[in-house]
Amino acid sequence: MSGLQPGVWYAIAAEHDLPKDHVYRTMLGGHELAAWRSTDGAVHVWEDRCPHRGVRFSLGEVVGDELRCQYHAWRFGKTGACTFIPAQPDLKVPRTIHAAVWPVALSAGLVWSGIEPTGAPPELPPGAVLRAIPIARAAASVAHALVKEPLSGLALVLQPLDETATIVRGIALDDDLVRADHALLALRRRLEQAA
Amino acid sequence: MILYDAHHLAPCYAVRLLAGCLGVTLELEPLDVYPGHANQTEAFLALNPLGTLPVLVDGPCIITDWLEALAHLALTHDRAWFPAEHAALIGWLGMARDLGASAGAARLIDTFGAPGDAAAARAQANALLDEVERRLWFSERGFGERIGQDWLIEGPHPSIADLACFVFIAPCEDGGLSLRDRPALRRWCDRVRFLPGFVSMSGVFPPMANTGR
Repeated sequence: MSGLQPGVWYAIAAEHDLPKDHVYRTMLGGHELAAWRSTDGAVHVWEDRCPHRGVRFSLGEVVGDELRCQYHAWRFGKTGACTFIPAQPDLKVPRTIHAAVWPVALSAGLVWSGIEPTGAPPELPPGAVLRAIPIARAAASVAHALVKEPLSGLALVLQPLDETATIVRGIALDDDLVRADHALLALRRRLEQAA
Repeated sequence: MILYDAHHLAPCYAVRLLAGCLGVTLELEPLDVYPGHANQTEAFLALNPLGTLPVLVDGPCIITDWLEALAHLALTHDRAWFPAEHAALIGWLGMARDLGASAGAARLIDTFGAPGDAAAARAQANALLDEVERRLWFSERGFGERIGQDWLIEGPHPSIADLACFVFIAPCEDGGLSLRDRPALRRWCDRVRFLPGFVSMSGVFPPMANTGR
């Protein structure tokens, strides 16, 4: 679906996107994802969909080491397994009730996921993690523009949202986040205004 | 204090939300604006010739502008919500009104059949939402959230500007907009939702677990 390559790690968030008690929401290659942190600091990336009634997990809430769905308050633990169903408090929850869990790796201040990714995420040089900029163009177009006109001092990676949009993330080697932001917003204007 | 109110209108919600945060009890006077047009009756027009909601009545004082109502509540109950020493307060209240005319209008067009150009409203709203997202990152003194700057106006306390913008931003997906690629806005919405005294409205989810921390 929409150009996601199996075996590849994609950056889907920055670590600073995931404070305590927050459910982060994004998309990767047409797959809606939710990410959250348990109390041990570990990051969990799940399909953004409660297996009960399909409501987005990212509308829900982190409760300690569990994610609670907004709709019927079903709770899911770190492994993705459902732990508690309030409407049936005495029920031992069947193991088959499970969030769809995605692989996750933390590296270079970014959170990485993908479809059966292999090895380690790409190495990035040291520097400050940028604010992610969405661009309403396919990843291939953004990649092409960056090859043609590289942005100096930035190590960038692309997160394909779907076939029409891409998030640009990365590192400012000189820690100058303001300059980096101007450069990325200019890139966005250039690409989105081009026919 | 009496609030002439319509549950689904964001400017009315802003006044109820601030009252909740201040712990002020309002006497609500609900009006059937949609579909009843109760804001166009002679009785209501005598109170507010513009026919707009909300109207806040505090003794002899009749306030027909929602931002003025927020200012009035803050100034009479807790001035921490009205940081008058910051020029940015004026800018952010203007931003809130612009969000109302764009994101707010798109929501009313899509969900209540209000007249207007939804596509134009969304285009304007997208530009404003991008700018609020950017400012949450780059506050004037550095990097917003990452230096502990949680609110739109510098300082440790939320202001009426946060609530005035929140009431259009939090339910913006009802107007065909999206917060998905605006992570700083989503975190800021969480911070507002977790404020003590927070109240919700249709399309704005109340916090469940993390209240009272």
